[in-house]
Parts: sequence; structure tokens; C-alpha cells
Amino acid sequence: MMVAKSACALCAIVLLAGCKAQEPANQANMVIPSAETQNAASAAPLTRDQALALMKEREHHMDAFGDATKKAGNSLKASSPNATPVREAAAAIDALAPKLLSWFPRGTGPDVGKTRAKPEIWQKPEDFALKAHDFEQAAMQFDVAAKSGDLTQITATFDALGKSCKACHDIYRAPKKD
Amino acid sequence: MKERVWDLPTRLFHWALVLLIALSWWSAETGRTSLHLWFGYGALFLLFFRILWGFLGSSTARFSAFVRGPGAVVEYVRNRFRWPVAGHAPLGAVSVLALLALLLIQVGTGLFAMDEDGLFPGPLAYLVSVGASDALTELHEELFDWLLILIGLHIAAILLYRLVLGRNLLGPMITGKADLPRGMEPMRPATPLVAIFCTLVAIAATAWILFGAPPLGS
Repeated sequence: MMVAKSACALCAIVLLAGCKAQEPANQANMVIPSAETQNAASAAPLTRDQALALMKEREHHMDAFGDATKKAGNSLKASSPNATPVREAAAAIDALAPKLLSWFPRGTGPDVGKTRAKPEIWQKPEDFALKAHDFEQAAMQFDVAAKSGDLTQITATFDALGKSCKACHDIYRAPKKD
Repeated sequence: MKERVWDLPTRLFHWALVLLIALSWWSAETGRTSLHLWFGYGALFLLFFRILWGFLGSSTARFSAFVRGPGAVVEYVRNRFRWPVAGHAPLGAVSVLALLALLLIQVGTGLFAMDEDGLFPGPLAYLVSVGASDALTELHEELFDWLLILIGLHIAAILLYRLVLGRNLLGPMITGKADLPRGMEPMRPATPLVAIFCTLVAIAATAWILFGAPPLGS
């Protein structure tokens, strides 16, 4: 995981250095081969039980992202924000974000079990991977800002993080049903 | 001869609320959360205004004119739905109060609610724990069904008055005027200045909530 993370950090530095002309496909290629995704992609198809277990775990992790975002947002809204919960939330999101793509192997869609993940995820895998990558970057930048304690940076990166969540959810998540 | 029954502020309140409830419903169902929040602020403003208007407004809008005990409701039904004063009859008053109370709870829970991703928190959500916020969000969603039931009853009652008792309740809520029986006292209007005052106070109160109710949460 450390290797993948430093690879991403490197990737971010390259991007920040201004090499934005890169092909999107290249970016995606640089990101996808995290250890877990590769396993998911190359290994034999998941059994139904494995798929259901992964989907349950995925929902749990997604809830954790939501919880951390709520906590960070609440703290940032106070007139004199408390840095500790923001730092904790940022660290929690950043720790999980690089794994997101590995929770969406083929065979974990709504045809297999109850999930709000839409089939489009596997119809446009490059776009999905790109958005997952954006989220990972945004999570990292928010974590860096939270550790620095610079409130302007924290607010800016938190907003960007929220946008990266929404960018994916708007397209690839089905509405809540109860 | 048509006499005044409902003043303009009361009618505007009523129809703006109808519109905002519809828009809130639509925006919630279609996931337009940031719009949904604005519709909620609009409803909050209307409710603040209506409460003030209930103390300072025209005679038929005042709570003192239509908040009565259950005895009055029984008397009204025994009297075959006749009531000697213009404005809300006792049964209608129960409906108005129930709708206002439920709407206050609905908007109130919405202020502490959050979307599942935590991207669009209600303006007061930061004052409570995430767990409390999630619980209030759930209540906010469930209570809407009760609101729909009350609105359904409200509309059914208006239809029944029309079809069974032959009385038109919808027209006066649009034009503000109704045929009153001889000798029935019409509405005593409040001055426009009072309406402006109530509007300004309601705007200020809504803005205060919108900014997170300072100095709370400092």
C-alpha cells in the first residue's frame, strides 16, 4: 500500500508541476494498478458470497466516508473550528480513499445483490477510475491541508473533496430507496 | 354582497407554502439537495411570518380568533357546521394548527438534517452530533408522509364542504372575499405597516438561522 501511495504522491507532484497535458488514459493507467485492483481484475471471477461480502464491506466504507465528511464539515462550521476532529476525519478519508477502486470489481453490481452502485460503473470503467483517482487526490490534499492547520487551505480542499464525491455519486450511484 | 374574509398576507402565505412544499418534495425526490435547502429556508421564513401575523395580523389571521378548545369543535359539529364568526371555524382551526405544527417540526428537523454524504448540512446541523443529525434526518423523511396525509385531509375537507354542504372554501382563499350571512362581522384588516414589520422580522429571524444561529456554536 505504501508503494501505491508514494506512486500516487509522485503522480500528484508531477501533475502539480504542470504536466496537465497527459492523456487521461495514461493517468488512469498510472493509478489503476494498486495491488488490490489488480487482484480483482486478474483473479478468477468472484463467487457470489465473495461478491456479497465485498458489497457489504463497500457500503460500510462508503458510510465511513460520509461520517468523516459530516464530522469535518461540522467542525469547520464553528466560528473557531476545532482542528482535532478535522485532522482525524481527513486522515480517515485519506487512508481509505486509495482503496476505493478495489471495492468495485466486476460482478458486484445490482444484478448480483442489493447495491446502489449503477451498472454504468462497469460500462465506463475508464471514467469511473478517473473519478476515483480525482477523489483520491482530493482526499490526499485535504489531509495535507488538515495537517498543516491552515484554515483557508483546509476549507478549499474540503470543498474540492466534496465536489469529487458528488461528481461520482451524481452519475454512478442510484437514489436511496427505503 | 361579498365581504373580506382573508387578507392578502394570509393568502400569499398559504399559496407560497403550497408551492414551496411541492418544490421541496420534488427537489428531495430528485436529489437536488442544495435547492431543497433554499426551499426549506423559504418555508422557514413563511412560518416565522405566519406566527407573527397570528399575533399582529388581521382579525381572521389571529390565533386568538381561532384557537379554541374541543368544546367548540363539538358545538360546531352539533350545530351542523355553522359558526357565527367569519374566519376559521373550529374544525378548520384544528386543521390549520395541525398543519402549522407539523410544518414547524418538518422545517425544524430539516435545519439539523444532512444528506448522507455530509455535503449539504442543514444550517444548525453543526450544533448537534452526527448521530443526532442522522436521526433527525430520518425523522425529517418519515414525517413528510404524515404531512402528505394532513394535506390530503385538508383537501378532502374542502371537497366535502363543497359537495355535501355546498360551501365554497377555495374561492375565498384566492380572492379573499366570501358571501357572509347577514349580521356576520367581516375581517378587521391590519395595516400594511404591520405586514411590513412582520416580514422584516421574519427575514431577520430566517437569516439568523441561516448563519447558524450565532452566537451558538462558537
